[in-house]
Amino acid sequence: MASKFVYFLSFFIFRLHFALAGQTNLMESVPDLHNSMYKVLDGYPCVRLLNLSGEIGCSNPGREKVLAPIIRFKNANELSQSSAILLSMGEFQNFFKRISNDSTFARNVGGVLVESGAEPQNMLKEFSPARKFPQAEFSPYRSTNYKWNPIGSGIMWNAYNFPVFLLSESGTLTLQEEVVRNEKSKKSYTSVVAEFDLVMQTMKAGTHDSESCLKEETCLPLGGYSVWSSLRPINISSSDHSKPIILTMASMDSASFFRDKSLGAESPISGLIALMAAVDALSHVDGLDKLSKQLVFLVSTGEAWGYLGSRRFLLELDLQSDAVRGLNSSLFEMVVEVGSVGKGFNQGIQNFYAHSTGVSSALNKTLDALKRAQDSLKSDNVTISSASASNPGIPPSSLMAFLKKNSLTSGIVLEDFDTVFSNKFYHSHLDELSNVNSSSIVAAASLIARTLYTLASDTKDLSSSSLTAIKVNVSLVEELMGCLLRCDPGLSCELVKKYISPTDTCPSHYVGVIIDEPTSTPYPPYVGDVSRFLWNFLADRTSIPRENTSPVCSEDCSSKGGVCIGAETDGKGVCVVSTTRYVPAYSTRLKFESGTWTVLPPNSSEPIGILDPIWTESNWNVIGLRVYTIQSAAYDRLVLLGGISITILAYLAILITKSIITKAMKQD
Amino acid sequence: MTVAAGIGYALLALGPSISLFVSVISKKPFLILTLLSSTLLWLISLIILSGIWRPFLPLSSTTWWPYGILIFTAVAFQEGLRILFWKIYKRLEDTLDAFADRVSKPRLFLTDKMQIALAGGLGHGVAHAVFFCLSLLTPAFGPATAFVDRCSQMPFFLVSAVIALAFVTIHTFSMLIAFNGYAEGNKVDQFFVPIVHLASGMVNIIQRLNKNSSIC
Repeated sequence: MASKFVYFLSFFIFRLHFALAGQTNLMESVPDLHNSMYKVLDGYPCVRLLNLSGEIGCSNPGREKVLAPIIRFKNANELSQSSAILLSMGEFQNFFKRISNDSTFARNVGGVLVESGAEPQNMLKEFSPARKFPQAEFSPYRSTNYKWNPIGSGIMWNAYNFPVFLLSESGTLTLQEEVVRNEKSKKSYTSVVAEFDLVMQTMKAGTHDSESCLKEETCLPLGGYSVWSSLRPINISSSDHSKPIILTMASMDSASFFRDKSLGAESPISGLIALMAAVDALSHVDGLDKLSKQLVFLVSTGEAWGYLGSRRFLLELDLQSDAVRGLNSSLFEMVVEVGSVGKGFNQGIQNFYAHSTGVSSALNKTLDALKRAQDSLKSDNVTISSASASNPGIPPSSLMAFLKKNSLTSGIVLEDFDTVFSNKFYHSHLDELSNVNSSSIVAAASLIARTLYTLASDTKDLSSSSLTAIKVNVSLVEELMGCLLRCDPGLSCELVKKYISPTDTCPSHYVGVIIDEPTSTPYPPYVGDVSRFLWNFLADRTSIPRENTSPVCSEDCSSKGGVCIGAETDGKGVCVVSTTRYVPAYSTRLKFESGTWTVLPPNSSEPIGILDPIWTESNWNVIGLRVYTIQSAAYDRLVLLGGISITILAYLAILITKSIITKAMKQD
Repeated sequence: MTVAAGIGYALLALGPSISLFVSVISKKPFLILTLLSSTLLWLISLIILSGIWRPFLPLSSTTWWPYGILIFTAVAFQEGLRILFWKIYKRLEDTLDAFADRVSKPRLFLTDKMQIALAGGLGHGVAHAVFFCLSLLTPAFGPATAFVDRCSQMPFFLVSAVIALAFVTIHTFSMLIAFNGYAEGNKVDQFFVPIVHLASGMVNIIQRLNKNSSIC
């Protein structure tokens, strides 16, 4: 009888099992299940930066990760709870405008995700989160409300207490899948949430300006290593150091709202590439030893954050330190800066503008040299004109730092615009390869090379044939654009790999922070990839081979006055004679002593120091972004209740069965 | 899904076994030993099976017959094990009865025999539930939940907990029925269990390979 009862029960259970069998594990293991539940999104964060008076950028508001349900901006008229807003690039500016105007909306913003779309119709025509006059406080003239960058919104110069991430293409796709899946399932008890991990150490420690955070060691100062090189090596031991110097400079760093996505293709990398191509063209010219002037090239970094590279270079010149041995600042006759030169191409003609400052014979000579170079390039349709007289002065450029030091400096800034920036994506993550034109860079490089040759040589040696012999290598320009402005081939391109082993393939031109003590002979892993590549490239182009020794690098290379090019590569490098040095680039008001940074008071010998905001970047532990689906708390409690009730019901059923069986046994 | 849901799923899968353990098995130490040894035997049978099948893995997921053979051999092996278990139990029963006669205590009652069978079945069921459901439950204690495409109405963990519950019940009762069948010589009962075991395994395969069916 008992067995019949059991029989009946089991049949019922088997039917239930038939209905449910078939659910199998589609994953191989628990880690697979974990990975399919929690999707890591690939993205670029906006981090916390601090200055003397406060902070900018984004951060988690506390010590914990931020968890917020995702909602699209166009559906987010009213926010009832802290949410993660999903934006497209077109809505970016409107969103931040709304944040600044509507404080109730801003209070409920838990985090922001920005999609990167590839559709052309969504392409923005212009976007710049920088100010309308970038770094206006450093300008040598008074009209600081002149709008060099009229489309600048200034978004990146505000502080936000929520995390903002720019999703990569793959991240955007993953997120779309999750959101669409959740919308299709139409369950009311699930929602898709984003988990932001952007906890900044300065937020945790409560240090909200540079001075306090440097003291607490919760941040590091922005900076890097500039590189300078002299076209014919300067003989340090010789006493004849009286050749006047023509300094040509460019900058290699850019800034953007998102730390790791600042390519700065047009501003300033187009100028950097033009400079490199000009050095390469000049290095093939005969008779460089007979030039009457010394050509020195400087590529500085940190220019976007208070002209750190230029100011530090000038300070080192005053201190006559090791980094600038062989240079005498009193011999600087002319300063030529190469600014943004990637957008000069307009209806078949390459137009460039010379923004000049100071009045001197050297300046007139330079302008004449530029005209001569233009004439020699007539067949390539290159024109150079002086900038409009209605401009208040030179555009934002490193030359401003030189002028603040010595207001009588004669200098020229070569740009592809006249009255306002031609770069519609100044200091944004959209200033990338498609924003520049290689023919424009080649034209600028030709102009610079021929102008410098004209300036540096005696007029009697100059003939039009010697000028036309100076040709810029077009394939070099295109290769440099591929190496410095694209992820593929990026820094794994052959040209770069010839000299260094890069740490990253995708180039990024954010200045970064100074690690450890700044010196003129830094430990190579502490120097950025681009700086190391530049050092090796310039050293290679400006070098003369060593005599009397084998070209392979060994210990006696530096003892005999040479430098090692390509020391990181497998071939262990080549020993040459070249004057190419690193100059640390960091704020002149900071000093590194016994392991910590201290802020110095403003010095009277450097009046520009008082304007320096002293930018630092907060430290952090990890930065991450995940997205997953959660159930409502009510559903969780329901499940718990179900489990408990099944346990109790089973217990009761067993007790009842036991009593029935006992009674049945008793009856037998 | 948080700790509450995780505990809920664990209770859903193993709650009735816990109740059974607390109310019936924990009262007699011998039953606890039976439970543990049957769990061990079930796991050893799985290890031996996987050892035998190791050279043939991984199986292609498009054809069904390798899986069919896999399930058939697995079920056959476990049914053989059940018969072995029964034989050991029979020998044990004779020993215990002889011992009871010597000390003039009563022999094993029918309820005792059924309880031993129950403990054996529960051992199999608990092993199945722990290794096929509880081991997957660790992610359930975190904040996220998971849904599988083929049954998107219920969270994945809920589905696996319910299936584990069903398997616990099947294993428990099939041991009971099988022992009853062997004891009474009832052929229907003896064949009922292996056939049901095999059928449920095969349904598993058919559902897995038939992509269009939804299992909810």
